[in-house]
Amino acid sequence: MRSHPAVRLLVILLIVSAAFQVVFQPVRLEGGIPVLQPLQPNIRLGLDLQGGMRLVLEAEEVPGVEVTPEKVDAAMRVIQHRVDALGVAEPVLQRQGAKRIIVELPGLRDPQRAKEMIGKTALLEFIDTGPQAMPHGAEWTADGRRVRLPDGTLIDFPKRVIVTGADLRDARAEFDPNQVAWFVRFAFAGEGARRFEEHTARAIGQHLTIALDNRVISSPVIRARIPGEGVIEGNFAAAEAGDLAILLRGGALPVPVTPIEERTVGPTLGRDSIDMSLRAGWIAAIIVVLFVTLYYRLPGFLASMALAIYTLMILAVFSGLGATLTLPGIAGIILGLGIAVDGNVIIFERIKEELRMGKTLRAAIEVGWRRALSAIVDSNVTTVIAMVVLLWLGTGPIRGFAVTLIIGVAVSVFTALLVTRWLVEFCASVGLGRGLTSMARLPRTAAEAGS
Amino acid sequence: MKVWDLIGKRRWLYLGSLLVMAPGILALAIHVAAGRPALNWGVDFTGGTLMTVRFEDRDVSTGQVRAALQPIGHEEALIQRIEETGDISLRTGDLDDRERARLQEALRQGVGPFTVLSVDDVGPKIGRELRDIAILALLIGLALQVVYVTARFGSVHFAVAANVALFHDLLLVIGVFALTRATVDASFVAVLLTVIGYSINDTIVVFDRIRENLALRTREPFPGLVNRSLFEALVRSINTGVTTLLAILAVYVFGGPTLRDFSFGLMVAVLTGAYSSISIASPLLVDMHLRAERRGTAPQVRAAPEPQP
Repeated sequence: MRSHPAVRLLVILLIVSAAFQVVFQPVRLEGGIPVLQPLQPNIRLGLDLQGGMRLVLEAEEVPGVEVTPEKVDAAMRVIQHRVDALGVAEPVLQRQGAKRIIVELPGLRDPQRAKEMIGKTALLEFIDTGPQAMPHGAEWTADGRRVRLPDGTLIDFPKRVIVTGADLRDARAEFDPNQVAWFVRFAFAGEGARRFEEHTARAIGQHLTIALDNRVISSPVIRARIPGEGVIEGNFAAAEAGDLAILLRGGALPVPVTPIEERTVGPTLGRDSIDMSLRAGWIAAIIVVLFVTLYYRLPGFLASMALAIYTLMILAVFSGLGATLTLPGIAGIILGLGIAVDGNVIIFERIKEELRMGKTLRAAIEVGWRRALSAIVDSNVTTVIAMVVLLWLGTGPIRGFAVTLIIGVAVSVFTALLVTRWLVEFCASVGLGRGLTSMARLPRTAAEAGS
Repeated sequence: MKVWDLIGKRRWLYLGSLLVMAPGILALAIHVAAGRPALNWGVDFTGGTLMTVRFEDRDVSTGQVRAALQPIGHEEALIQRIEETGDISLRTGDLDDRERARLQEALRQGVGPFTVLSVDDVGPKIGRELRDIAILALLIGLALQVVYVTARFGSVHFAVAANVALFHDLLLVIGVFALTRATVDASFVAVLLTVIGYSINDTIVVFDRIRENLALRTREPFPGLVNRSLFEALVRSINTGVTTLLAILAVYVFGGPTLRDFSFGLMVAVLTGAYSSISIASPLLVDMHLRAERRGTAPQVRAAPEPQP
């Protein structure tokens, strides 16, 4: 550790430029050649800051379908497919516990549509209803034995499923210019195609009812043998047909899910939040720098630089880990800033005491840091203990806060113990001793003896 | 710096803390006695739907909104206007998609065009979980802190005193929220977390000074030593507290209405966290020590194991 102060300054400069590069990416490699590009903060913002939707879905136990982690994972893959089709940039899907799925969709235009698409089981069934045509909107009960007609009457009608959407090979939305209507063209694969063809050959003149999640879409009459391909007509609007095709291509969810939590932040509010918290952050930073510098003079100014480095490093860690910055996260950063200030204040107060006791500057710096160490370590370990428990037990925003504060404490201890110290020792080594001792406000002679 | 004998007057410090807490606890008690919920629980805890909308006409009043909802029920809806922005927030029971669409349609018909700024729709299950997790995390966190502090300070007194101060701070913050009827939502949880993070942190810095002075073995009576340590650490306590408060004050003033309740809670948390280290944790340490001394079981405090930098 006994390296030359100038070398240490260089190390700090290296750390700062590395952090700056990670956060703002001013330099990009283009085919091995570094190119300068405009600064762009490379930080993933939480939905509360940039707008978007967060959904927590829970897999439901229904008779005959057991919820297993494998099924929930399979459901996640299906949802992933649907989300990709929605064209959302950087969606996040996570499984939480055994039966929950968290879906985060930043910068979403139409949350309502997204929610409908994501939560739909999308089980397509081709049902043999014999001579009976089922009206659009009729619905089978969950046990599949009865049908509720659109006027509300309930009739016994066991569901005879010929083939399901699981056997689909493809589905596309198409436009029929003659009928001026959208429809969905589908194609079965392998076994499904064979069953479909056999049934349509056998049941000419009968109705083949098409239902999505037990709700009847249409109930056409079979006119001829259909070789594994066909269309679903249902007076669709363009968007409806497109969404249905997406759902069918992605397949049905292996377990039904219900949303148990939804948080949507519109883009306006997100924009407002970023602007206001940025402004508040700047003002807070200026106030802290002014206060610390006015009170502790040169060392205070050095500590302010250390705090700036602290902030830059926090952002770099966020950026490097790909962690998401949320509002509770900002609270964690501010609290971490308070803790970083505290580290410096503890040390400076100690150095002042030692100076007043008549120690030389070099000895006071040495003792100041050594004595402050136990206070800084113990106070911060207790904080980290609480945060680790929260990280372990908590969910969503609580975890966001805990993660930021843990990163904040680690970085603040690093800046207080190393960065500030190296800066102070560098100043001492280049003859700024007078400036350093000024914080103790010693009588003139004592100060000269001290430096 | 002039040194007062704060520790000698610690009865007054305890009394002061009780007086500071009294309005909040009274508010809690009155709400419970009146059959109201003790705190103004938000949808994060109770479940339900909270929607914030911005009408094109920013001067829409809560009365207009209520009138528009009349035909479709929702008498239970809590309608608030955020003065600064003119936005309207509506809180109702847990709405499904169809009910929400109906409500939005009624607003559009009855009041005028608007954009939805945010929607929080929370099932009742989530709220219970949030509360259970908060309590469980608090208990486990406290237990671990007690173990760590006891190990590092060589006496369980320090850990107990620090945690009593923490409870004082938690109670005070909860009391303040009962008093102001500010909404208790996820950001309230963040405030409580801040208390947990900050209160013990601050107390330990003061205790570190006591530990160091004890290790010098000056044969000074314990109360006097604690008093001296308090004042030696006081400048630091004030400077740190003031800087952190100023930073949060900036967020309170300039951070906009979404952050207002939250930053207010944070300020209370930091203030009480610093205050209780001096007025609760340290006097309590003295009382516990004196009691143990009378029984002849006063612990020997050793110096902090000094890691070499």
